Amino acid sequence: MALLEVSSLDAGYGDLQILEDVDLAVDAGEYVTIVGPNGAGKSTVMKSIFGLTTYMGGSVDFDDQEISGYRPEDIITTGIGYVPQNDNVFPSLSVMENLEMGAYILDEVPEDRLERIFDRFPILEERKSQKAGTMSGGQQQMLAMGRALMLDPDLLMLDEPSAGLAPDLVDDMFDRIDEINDDGTAVLLVEQNAKEALRRCDRGYVLVQGQNRYVDSGDALLADEQVRQDFLGG
Amino acid sequence: MSTVDVRGRVSDVTGQELVGAFLLLGIVVLVFDLIRQVVVGELSAGLLRSYLWSGIVDSLYIGLAAIGLSMTYSILRFANFSHGDLITTGAFSGWTVAYVIGGAGVAEFSSRILLRADGGAPPGALEMDVLANPLAIVLGLIASAVVTIAVALAIDRLIYRRLRDEGGIPLLIASVGVALALRYLIALFYTTDSRGVVGSAPEWEDPPLLPVEAIDLHEATLVFSAVALMLGVHLLLQYTKLGKSMRAMSDNKDLALITGIPTERVIFATWVIGAGLAGVAGYLIVLDRGTIMINLGWFLLLLIFAAVILGGIGSIYGALAGSLVIGITINLSLVWIPADMNEIAAFALMILVLIFRPDGLFSGVETA
Repeated sequence: MALLEVSSLDAGYGDLQILEDVDLAVDAGEYVTIVGPNGAGKSTVMKSIFGLTTYMGGSVDFDDQEISGYRPEDIITTGIGYVPQNDNVFPSLSVMENLEMGAYILDEVPEDRLERIFDRFPILEERKSQKAGTMSGGQQQMLAMGRALMLDPDLLMLDEPSAGLAPDLVDDMFDRIDEINDDGTAVLLVEQNAKEALRRCDRGYVLVQGQNRYVDSGDALLADEQVRQDFLGG
Repeated sequence: MSTVDVRGRVSDVTGQELVGAFLLLGIVVLVFDLIRQVVVGELSAGLLRSYLWSGIVDSLYIGLAAIGLSMTYSILRFANFSHGDLITTGAFSGWTVAYVIGGAGVAEFSSRILLRADGGAPPGALEMDVLANPLAIVLGLIASAVVTIAVALAIDRLIYRRLRDEGGIPLLIASVGVALALRYLIALFYTTDSRGVVGSAPEWEDPPLLPVEAIDLHEATLVFSAVALMLGVHLLLQYTKLGKSMRAMSDNKDLALITGIPTERVIFATWVIGAGLAGVAGYLIVLDRGTIMINLGWFLLLLIFAAVILGGIGSIYGALAGSLVIGITINLSLVWIPADMNEIAAFALMILVLIFRPDGLFSGVETA
């Protein structure tokens, strides 16, 4: 069975249903991307997995454990890390304090993981005591990832990590995600930058109006004439 | 298009900013007048010093209460109008405990437990001061914090928790109701009469190293306790896991939730700290002033709000700085206006800040 298995999920906000019958699976160590037009419900999929939306039906299983209807504070203990798109650091806390908050549910800050995160993002070690809110967008994005990695999750969900980054930083960001995935962490990525995301991932889902439209390997989706025309701008 | 622009600009200037400029001019004139008065000797240096000192003392108890108000604002996201009556709760509960423990044998129990509601034996007869009755005063101080915390937690459980996700306005309106209910519940037992409950303050004559003739020991207790508590809150917020998670939650509640911070536990801690400090503030104000009354906290609430707004709402360091500004302002204004009108100065200042620095006087400064 897959690490993450979403089947026939219906979810939304209050009375408003956004997702309809969504299926999604991520295997251990796999790199999966969700692409689709604005308003397709890509972010809502992630929020629903993390228990932040109104659950309306279907199921979410993680690591052979049904987690639909769980609250976020319980889901975080199962091994899912989540980096939301906006406001994903605590601006008035220092870089170090942000990372400490990432390990809040542990009794103490795991030094070895901290070391690894500093190895991966050296800028975070350099700026340990700087307030997160005073860092650039790219640095904040790295801090947000670092925070989510403090619990050494089996699955890392990233919501548009390249949004708002300068073009020359976007490639760098994708490289970092590759590295995290290469180390064995499964990645679920929502991206506006669909072509690049599909090129990098193992498998991709095209989501339209809250429903699955296409599922295939990233390369196959990139090669598909229909997908190219409708979602990748030709 | 350009005419519209010009008209837009003119109407801006003729509006708020004109009022602001007028007030600002007034302050500049007053500062020059203050310098003049000191130079020509109209205002003695001793009097000026005593105004400034009273300002600092006032700012300390305003600041103690402002920390809690600012915390409930940034973590629970509403302006808590019942905060003033938590101060009153602390004052009455703390002094009741001090009377029950301290006045045994001198006054009737029924008179002591209702804090002289019957006009019983005067506080002097009970030797209600820090030197004659230190144990009762200290236990009263602790009780003021404990009871106020218990009351605040009960109110949260019964009322605010149910409204947690309804937004700031329903909570604010509910808190006005809570304020009234709390105050008149206290009045039901203790009556609405203002009365003396503290004996005259013992003095320490000719203290070494200090340029004063005598130290009022009640005032000294207030200053010492307030500074120690503020320092404690600072250390807690900066260096403990709980404190960091409180700052994290005041930064971004949603992110705190997905980081695994137990938000209800943080809210619990917020009430414990905020209400505890408010209760202690109420107790210490009575220790310093000597009299207790039912409107004690309610009358202070506007000044506390002014301090919190001045400092940039939601930042406790801003709130403390705002308290200092308010404390000094209301006391220094005594140079020109009578004491029963001095709050005008504080609110004029607040209007000024809201016009020119709506995010607070210290909004550009790193505070958290």
